[in-house]
Amino acid sequence: MFYRLAGIRHTNYLKARQLFPLQFDRLLIGGLCVLALLAPLYLPSLYLNSYLMPWLLWVTAALGLNLLMGGAGQVHLGYGAVMGIGAYAAGHAARSGIPFEIALLLGGLAAAIIGTVFGAAALRVKGLYLAVTTLALQYLVDFVVLHVGAISGGSQASLQLPAVKILGQSVRSDAGLYFVALAGCVVVTIFMLNVRRTSLGRALAAVREKDYAAEILGVSAFRYKLLAFWVASFIGGTAGALLAFCYYKAVSPEQYHIDLSIQMLAVVIVGGLGSVLGCFFGAGLILLAPAFLNQLLSAVSTGLGLKLGTDLMTHAPLILYGSLIVGFLLFEPLGLAKIYDNARKMFLVWPFRHMRR
Amino acid sequence: MKLSRRQIVIATAVTLGTAYAPNVLAQEKVIKFGMAQDFTKVYTFVTAEYSQGQRDYFTLVNERGGVNGWKIQAEIVDTGNETQRGIEAYERFKREGVLLVDPLSTPVSRAIVPRALNDKINLITMFSGRSDAADGSVFPYVIPMSASYWSQASVLIEYIARQEKDLKGKKIAIVYIDTPFGKEPLPLLREIAKRRGFELLPFPYAPPGNEQAAVWTQVRRANPNWTLIWGGGVGQTVSLKEAIRNGISPEKIASVVWLSESDMKVVGNEAAKGTLKYEGAASGRDPKIIQDILKDVVAKGKGAGPQDLVGTSYYNIGVLSAALMVEGVRKGLEISKGAALTPQTLNEGLRSISKFTAEGLAPPITVTKTDHQGGGMGRVAQWDGRRWVAKSDWLSADQDLVWDLITQSSAEFKKGN
Amino acid sequence: MDILLITELSINGALVGLMYALVALGIVVVYKASRYANLAQGAFCMAGGYACVSIAAALSIPAWVAIPLAVVLMYFVGVLTERFFLRRMIGQPVVMVIMLTLGLEILLRGLVPGLLGSTVKRLDIGISQAPLIVADILINRAYLAGGFIALAFVAGAILFYNTALGVRMRAVSDDAIASWAVGIKVESLIAIAWGIAGASAGAAGVLWGSVQGVDWTLSQLLLKAIAIAILGGLDSVPGVLVAGLIVGIVESVAAGVLDPLVGGGTRDVVASVIILLTVIVRPHGLFGREHIERV
Repeated sequence: MFYRLAGIRHTNYLKARQLFPLQFDRLLIGGLCVLALLAPLYLPSLYLNSYLMPWLLWVTAALGLNLLMGGAGQVHLGYGAVMGIGAYAAGHAARSGIPFEIALLLGGLAAAIIGTVFGAAALRVKGLYLAVTTLALQYLVDFVVLHVGAISGGSQASLQLPAVKILGQSVRSDAGLYFVALAGCVVVTIFMLNVRRTSLGRALAAVREKDYAAEILGVSAFRYKLLAFWVASFIGGTAGALLAFCYYKAVSPEQYHIDLSIQMLAVVIVGGLGSVLGCFFGAGLILLAPAFLNQLLSAVSTGLGLKLGTDLMTHAPLILYGSLIVGFLLFEPLGLAKIYDNARKMFLVWPFRHMRR
Repeated sequence: MKLSRRQIVIATAVTLGTAYAPNVLAQEKVIKFGMAQDFTKVYTFVTAEYSQGQRDYFTLVNERGGVNGWKIQAEIVDTGNETQRGIEAYERFKREGVLLVDPLSTPVSRAIVPRALNDKINLITMFSGRSDAADGSVFPYVIPMSASYWSQASVLIEYIARQEKDLKGKKIAIVYIDTPFGKEPLPLLREIAKRRGFELLPFPYAPPGNEQAAVWTQVRRANPNWTLIWGGGVGQTVSLKEAIRNGISPEKIASVVWLSESDMKVVGNEAAKGTLKYEGAASGRDPKIIQDILKDVVAKGKGAGPQDLVGTSYYNIGVLSAALMVEGVRKGLEISKGAALTPQTLNEGLRSISKFTAEGLAPPITVTKTDHQGGGMGRVAQWDGRRWVAKSDWLSADQDLVWDLITQSSAEFKKGN
Repeated sequence: MDILLITELSINGALVGLMYALVALGIVVVYKASRYANLAQGAFCMAGGYACVSIAAALSIPAWVAIPLAVVLMYFVGVLTERFFLRRMIGQPVVMVIMLTLGLEILLRGLVPGLLGSTVKRLDIGISQAPLIVADILINRAYLAGGFIALAFVAGAILFYNTALGVRMRAVSDDAIASWAVGIKVESLIAIAWGIAGASAGAAGVLWGSVQGVDWTLSQLLLKAIAIAILGGLDSVPGVLVAGLIVGIVESVAAGVLDPLVGGGTRDVVASVIILLTVIVRPHGLFGREHIERV
């Protein structure tokens, strides 16, 4: 009833190759965009600042990782380090007077170069070995950042960042920073939605499925894997820089540790490998679930009068986080995106039931 | 009636949702403090006892009718030492109207500093955080109220100097964890070494410090007269064990504030006899305030945790921090003449604390608008196999060097902003 | 270069390396049998340490008596993990399984300290702290005991692979489908492999817990164990021994020699550099068998 499938005839190739051929989909996305643009008007600043903005920034980073893991099929356990490199490079560039936009691109570039160098080393191997090599990358970058004072910002190990400046104008308000984050997220999302339709996307899909078969067809597996590392690291570096500028407002080494890498991995997998919408859902769940669980637990313990031990209460977010990952992998390996897809398939033919499973 | 899975899920959601209704009981005179601390990651060794101490003291104050009728309510949340969770908790606390935030975590407090200064919410960084926050003129809303790591180092050296009578030509080794926290005392120690004429030998170990055999081999070979250990949690216990195994006497080992009864138990109570440490608050159950807590809170079953942890070093530090906060509230209410406290008035109250000892728990602490450290005093205590015994009076030393470093660092912060 | 210093560092380093190798043993046994890497091995160690402390406290027995009980408990934890978590993942891409074990690690890291207490606990297994000095070289008594126990486990594992059960396990690691075809119960053998991994993790957890106290930081043994497993070859048990010695010695000597020059912290980096070099130069490790992918 909502999704009108009948009577759709395309009269030119442009219309036929649309990303969203169904009008309901287009209306839904349009509505969400309007909501996102008007968010500063109706959301209190707590929600805008602490929930919506970091969520958008995390989605941006996760999309980069999704390209690498879902698109090209490579495991990357060191994504936090890549984001950190971008943040530090952009931070130092901005502090030395380079305009913000260029500093952002420089951050992405630095992350891409270093990420690709490690990618080249790691691409001799696959699967577990690749994962462990990227893990080594994470620890090495941590070590270098911590020990080279020039990078980490001196004895206090915290690099203060100047304000975000778009076209020379300082952006300090909550709404302004939110729009910067939104812009970054929109750009990367549009890129990711379209990458599947480009030759790059098709080559990555071939490499992901069977890389020696792709080689036989003439798609150089090594070159395209490296390209995937490059693009993903660039996106990761820019996302890390945006995260530092808009949200943390200072860069310190603990923000980009192995925990961030594992969280990004969890976002991509819980959301659904290879699915853009999945990144949105996954980031929302992994980012916001611990916070809501904390509030819920304290409300339950005061409201219902149950007294839970401090140890259990403070470890509950970890337990939830771990069980989310394990639960999704065991019961719904295709992630939240599949759950949404099932719901959508049901609504496609609603009120009939024949598609429901 | 057979419930389908969907019905069960909806029923659970509704039940939990009703429990989520706003907390009706505390709407009279309540002062809210936000404790977003690290219970699960790096600071696990201290946070549980510290938080227990804080909550027990607040219960004690509330049982006695609060401060001029105002009750204290502490919101406890875990941040896992992650800055993003710390910031989220801080924003939520801000919305709920807390007057101060206590993160007990150096990375999280560093992330909150710019926001606290901007929003004018008090940030308490007890024995952690930025050492240069002692400079109240640059950091008006960041209040450590406790000796910075620089002051702790100077107190330890002063004590050693008193034992040795003359430090010229002596060798003092420092075994520290290779993180910004561990590296922090080094600049000050180098200055003091120049002033007093001893040789400083630094020995870093990789975090988390569960394996230090190589380091202590070198320490043994360097044969120092005294050794300082500077770490937290697992690093400290392994340091002591390795030192004992290498034949270094615990009596010549002095530690930073992060050493407690549970750490000594892990090392071995008898084996570690003689170890010295810096103390900012008296340990043990003797101080009157701890006795009051035992009598009025724990005996009545209102304690926030296991009874055997009452009176440990970290517990007492928690009590001290809570006492300082409550004293700030009292002073703030004096200034505001009984009107409801705002973060600004609490800030003025905290910065007017004068010669406060929490009934003998701590040295006289005086916080002013320029000195947020409270004097940087401390004393040295020694482990006698069962408890920590004070070996010196409350003293402070080389504060001029400390303040040089503080002003240098805070000037950099001001410039960078 | 002080020869005595280097010797002392090497001996202690070798012993520490053996203790890390005990953790890596579990990873290798599981990989051999099922070709999955168990990234929750560090969390199993932590659980083993906590198990020993809790059993000793609950039954009021000294810690060293609780050790075999803890090891047996961890054996069953390993078996149950395989049965309930890993069996559903057969056939899934390897990244999913890696993520599953990582998720298990996070879950255990929250569950075990959450239920059993997060403050550090003492685990005293009766090794005296007095220094042991042999020819002016100080040997760490706890590491000596730990090294011998680890050696015993590894030797036991090597011997095990020559028993009837072990031969069947080697068959499974060679070719699972062919083993099914000849009637070998592949599922039970994989479960036994996971049990062995759990048991060795439990023992390692007890040993490391006695050195550093039992709390969640025991789960950070994972990185070193992975480095050793990769260096030695992910499917070679003697490789674990050799790689453990190498990693331990290199770490100790590097920390002793390079730290004063670089300013500290080289220990962490050594494991990462070893992993990188191994993967670049000889991906299947020193003694591992090259996994040939058949088109």
